[in-house]
Amino acid sequence: MSHFSGNKTAIKIIRTMVMLALGVTAFHANAETTVNIGYQAPFTGEYAQYGIMFRNAATLALNEFNQSHRLAGAKVNIEFEDSKGDAKEGVTIAHKFSDDASIVGVIGDFSSTVSIAAAKVYAETHVAQLSQTASHPDFVKISPWQFRNIITEAYEGPFMANWLYQNGVRKVAVINIQNDWGQTASKNFINAFTSRGGVVTTAEPFNPGTRDFRSILTKIARTNPDAIYLCLFYEDGAAVLQQKAQLGLNAKVYGSSAIYEKKLIDLAGPAANGLKLSTTFAVNSPAQNVRAFVKSYESHFKAEPSMFAGQAYDATNIMLDAIVKAGGAKATRDGVRKALAETKNFPGVTGNTTFDPVTREPTKVLTHLQIRNGEFVAVSE
Amino acid sequence: MFDFLDIFFVQQLINGLAQGLVYALMAIGFTLIFGVLNVVNFAHGEVYMLGAFVGLLVIQVWAPPLVAVILVVVVVGLLLGVGLERVAFRPFRRFNDEASLKSKALREATLLSSLAISIFVRELTQTYFGSEMQAIPQRYLLMTPIKIGALNLVSGQLVILGVGLLMFLVLQYTLFHTRVGLSIRAVANNLSGATHVGINVGQTIIATFVIGSILGAVSGALVGLYTGNIYAQMGFAPGIKAFVAMVMGGLSSIPGAVISALVLGVSESIATQFISQGWSDLISYGLLVLTLLVFPRGLFGGSDERV
Repeated sequence: MSHFSGNKTAIKIIRTMVMLALGVTAFHANAETTVNIGYQAPFTGEYAQYGIMFRNAATLALNEFNQSHRLAGAKVNIEFEDSKGDAKEGVTIAHKFSDDASIVGVIGDFSSTVSIAAAKVYAETHVAQLSQTASHPDFVKISPWQFRNIITEAYEGPFMANWLYQNGVRKVAVINIQNDWGQTASKNFINAFTSRGGVVTTAEPFNPGTRDFRSILTKIARTNPDAIYLCLFYEDGAAVLQQKAQLGLNAKVYGSSAIYEKKLIDLAGPAANGLKLSTTFAVNSPAQNVRAFVKSYESHFKAEPSMFAGQAYDATNIMLDAIVKAGGAKATRDGVRKALAETKNFPGVTGNTTFDPVTREPTKVLTHLQIRNGEFVAVSE
Repeated sequence: MFDFLDIFFVQQLINGLAQGLVYALMAIGFTLIFGVLNVVNFAHGEVYMLGAFVGLLVIQVWAPPLVAVILVVVVVGLLLGVGLERVAFRPFRRFNDEASLKSKALREATLLSSLAISIFVRELTQTYFGSEMQAIPQRYLLMTPIKIGALNLVSGQLVILGVGLLMFLVLQYTLFHTRVGLSIRAVANNLSGATHVGINVGQTIIATFVIGSILGAVSGALVGLYTGNIYAQMGFAPGIKAFVAMVMGGLSSIPGAVISALVLGVSESIATQFISQGWSDLISYGLLVLTLLVFPRGLFGGSDERV
């Protein structure tokens, strides 16, 4: 009996396998051509929250694109790889993406450090790389294959320096995170501010992972500046703002766009009020495309999108647009690169993006914001 | 020449002592476990992190007074201690003869098993809660400024000082004036001797883990509320500093570890004042190297063994 039922099971398994095989062939015959994009970002580790925002926003952009049927008979797919915020991982992924002939372009990585490490591979293997956030000046200088849709510190530093100066700030202290981006941000701001005639009382770099800023703030208090300029991310920003309030420092605080994130207010509470910053993406912007993006992001991911999500959404759309222009299903890596280089006035949620055909640097317009009563408010001065 | 000796300098010393206390809180539990078992418990940083997360969950769900939050954290610390010993340490103590208990293999195996648990718990927490910092209800934050003349203190610093002192005194009392303490010291001193005079070694080791983990979990919850930073990776950096303090203090001396932790904190704030914060880690690790060169047994190491 048992022998017999065993046979029956075997027949069942074989039958299922045959059906599955038939099904797979049938599916293949009907399938559309797929064009692949590689996306590398940190999905685990210290910077995982940024990678996850990128993945969310990119998936949103991709689904909208595929549903719109802009590419007849073809579908675009994004392959995500986790760089863990580690340059070595970034290089491994770059090799993997380069070896995969179905990938016509790459988006990522998050930090300038990892993006630059991976860029050296893409420069050799000739794959267009578009980073949504790498703002180190050297990144796009590596080869004609590197692009970014975030404005750089060379643009933002002088912009902020002018704003502080117009607000009557003459003596400023700078706090920056000690990495490629933080050092560049601090340097660009300081150069612009001192060339306008302002004085930098002290510039304080800190190691990533620092949670106690009291020593730095006490050192700054001694130099008695009119304002403090922050080149850091929101979690460090929240700690600085809280500890500054506890130490009773009265200097005004300004931040570069990297600090713009709703959670800054959740973490810092009332200590965040008064902070002034610039940004390309304001979540409460009245612009129609921004409102549609915010609504869709909130309904899918139960969270408010930040500037980083906006950057990734735009980067994905710019890449998709380049694939369409490069011939869709027939797009080549070289064609995608050429199409990217021709990006002009691309309407995104972080403003209209134009890539300089020679330097590949993007231009955008920045908005002034201030935190008032626990809300980011657009301000004119 | 001495114009740096102003009120800001005194403020810097206070900043440094406060930071040193944060390291000291963690170093106490760390050193206790090392002193008894001669093994490094790398998962102590995760007990600290879980203490903070449990505290936050209690606050979010029930919002009770802070004392009740801490009591829940104590219970969780107790359970974590029992669980940690059971999972990461006991499987490696199958043989109770002196040779295997003192073997390098045991030390290395438990070092790696506790490291594995630490990575596992950290990644799991990160997967579940995300890697970002958790928002803490403002009224629970131990961040009320306290002004003394021109100096600025924060309520959390006083709480940490008070709790740190209390932990230290209760621990010293337990170790030197109670039966549990006596058996802990006996096991630490001579494990096979303790077995022969009838001490239940297994239970004593569990008691050590329980005490150490309660201290770790409570420290994590308090420091989380004081700094406003509760996140999956929060145990790592203070864990390294606590380890440095333990080694500087002579491995098994709790007072030594506390004093070394304070020295580390103050040297970091002084380094920030006179050089830059980027240098402060270099200064504290430099101090460790210097201590080991001049005092190979650590500052308070009584044993004959070199650190």
